[in-house]
Amino acid sequence: MAAFLDSLTASRIAAGVSAGDFTAREVAEASLAAIAAREPQVQAFLQVTSELALAAADAVDSARAAGAPLGPLAGVPLAIKDNMNLIGTRTTCASRMLEGYESPYTATCVQRMLDAGCIPMGKANMDEFAFGSSTDSSAFHPTNNPWDLERVPGGSSGGSAAAVAAGEVALSLGSDTGGSIRQPAALCGVVGMKPTYGAVSRYGVVAFGSSLDQVGPFGRTVEDVALAMQALTAAGRDPQDGTSRDCAQDFLAHLDDPVEGRRVGIVPALMEAEGLTPEVRAAVESAARTLADQGAELVEVDLPHLDAAIAAYYVIGPAEAFSNLARFDGIRYGYQEPGCSNLAAQSAKSRAHGFGAEAKRRQMLGAYLLSSGVYDTYYYAAQKARTLITADYASAYEKVDAILMPACPRTAFKHGEISDPTQMYLSDLYTISINIAGNGGVSVPLGLGADSGLPVAAQLVGPAFADRDLLTFARAVERGREDEVAGAAAGAVAPAFAGKGGELA
Amino acid sequence: MALSREDVRGIADYARIALADDELTEMTDYLNDAVQMLEPVLAYDVPDIEPTFHPIGDLANVMRSDEEEAARSLDLPHALGNAASVSERYFRVPSILGEEGDR
Repeated sequence: MAAFLDSLTASRIAAGVSAGDFTAREVAEASLAAIAAREPQVQAFLQVTSELALAAADAVDSARAAGAPLGPLAGVPLAIKDNMNLIGTRTTCASRMLEGYESPYTATCVQRMLDAGCIPMGKANMDEFAFGSSTDSSAFHPTNNPWDLERVPGGSSGGSAAAVAAGEVALSLGSDTGGSIRQPAALCGVVGMKPTYGAVSRYGVVAFGSSLDQVGPFGRTVEDVALAMQALTAAGRDPQDGTSRDCAQDFLAHLDDPVEGRRVGIVPALMEAEGLTPEVRAAVESAARTLADQGAELVEVDLPHLDAAIAAYYVIGPAEAFSNLARFDGIRYGYQEPGCSNLAAQSAKSRAHGFGAEAKRRQMLGAYLLSSGVYDTYYYAAQKARTLITADYASAYEKVDAILMPACPRTAFKHGEISDPTQMYLSDLYTISINIAGNGGVSVPLGLGADSGLPVAAQLVGPAFADRDLLTFARAVERGREDEVAGAAAGAVAPAFAGKGGELA
Repeated sequence: MALSREDVRGIADYARIALADDELTEMTDYLNDAVQMLEPVLAYDVPDIEPTFHPIGDLANVMRSDEEEAARSLDLPHALGNAASVSERYFRVPSILGEEGDR
């Protein structure tokens, strides 16, 4: 019986490879065929790693032939955001600055996915250095939303979200500093998780905001994201990353636990926020009803200091980005301006010509905010706002187990539709405060919006290191949608791409 | 008080980004917009609240013994492989002081 790879979840692929229904090589070849057929429209990848993929697949098949135990993600095709190092690939951060940068080592998060049996299909497009919400700031090419090619996939992990939504791969890795996993997941109709800060190692991931960045997975189902979380965290704390923590917990064991009697918070102010479109609001309300129908208790909670979140983030984020990106001086790696008479000129011109517009804007803002006299005014105020926002969430979690809110105020916008950078920043309203508090959040697709016909989503957020619990709630929302016939079925690939290349013999 | 073009030129110098003249105009507009967007945070500069610099409050510096760890060190070809200019075992840079070339 012929099946298309994109009709299979990661868990089904791994089970099929383990059972011998098909080989990992057949899966890798099907994924390469799907990529070849779909990439001209989607453009989710900056580099497709056919040789690495086939070698990894052959290693899985050899292990099976030898009777060795297979990993829980054996044979599952994976896309990797291009700010994560993998030996044998370039790591460009979608920037001219790092156009030819060859990964000198492999990031822990990538290695753990490979150790679990994943097949590395390639490096996914992103906003340059992860500065953005559209992936349009990639120096190389935009990525198109698989549900409507005239629209953005969101960002900054737009390539990772689009590759999963288009069925090119079953899983992908992204990074989230202010919403860069959850927002593109929402706009592309897939599940995307930003785990608690410290849950996943960041060793080998190019730094943006060191107190905010976190790596997490995308998948088409909650179970697939749980499998990826298991692979990322099961080995425990990474000694190579001083901020990583032990959080090994079985992400699968409690996935289908009932939510009856559990308490889910709703923040009325967030449901009334300016800019929230009626269709997204209606979808989040339907998710609330789904949880209530399964016996969860909906409780109103207040997060009084959230109005400071965007301002606090755009102080802390650019300040940390400016510090982190100071390393790009054109000497040890990265673009180097030729013919400069002295080192200062070489650095300044290499940075001026290697970085794109938004990367320069964020660093200039950070430089200003950290300059003498300004630092005290903005930086300390932002870090005090951070204290209050974190305390807001802590007191809310005394009353509820998780909070349900939108992930993004609207559905995917058209390429170039939001040209003012500060307007773009305001679209991070629902995601940013989670990074500030360091907690976990997961974006759950809710089918298609009544007005736009594009994917809509809800976000579930929870206390630190309760990421497993969040997935239980996310699974309950997903379960409530499984009987739906209208709109996009849970776990489905964008219809224009379903079954387009990638037949599994 | 709005930032002037000259202010922004000074910030660019500090940030080591050689902005072209047309970029300087656009950057001045952007920085003034962005700083205005940050206004709400100023209300939080109140004396009785401790700043939070990091989401893991009790994080301590991670130390290790001062010994070479071969597994964590890049070998020479990898360390130099991504540099645009090298000379034997070294990164090559132009003159650090003055305006003369790399002599």
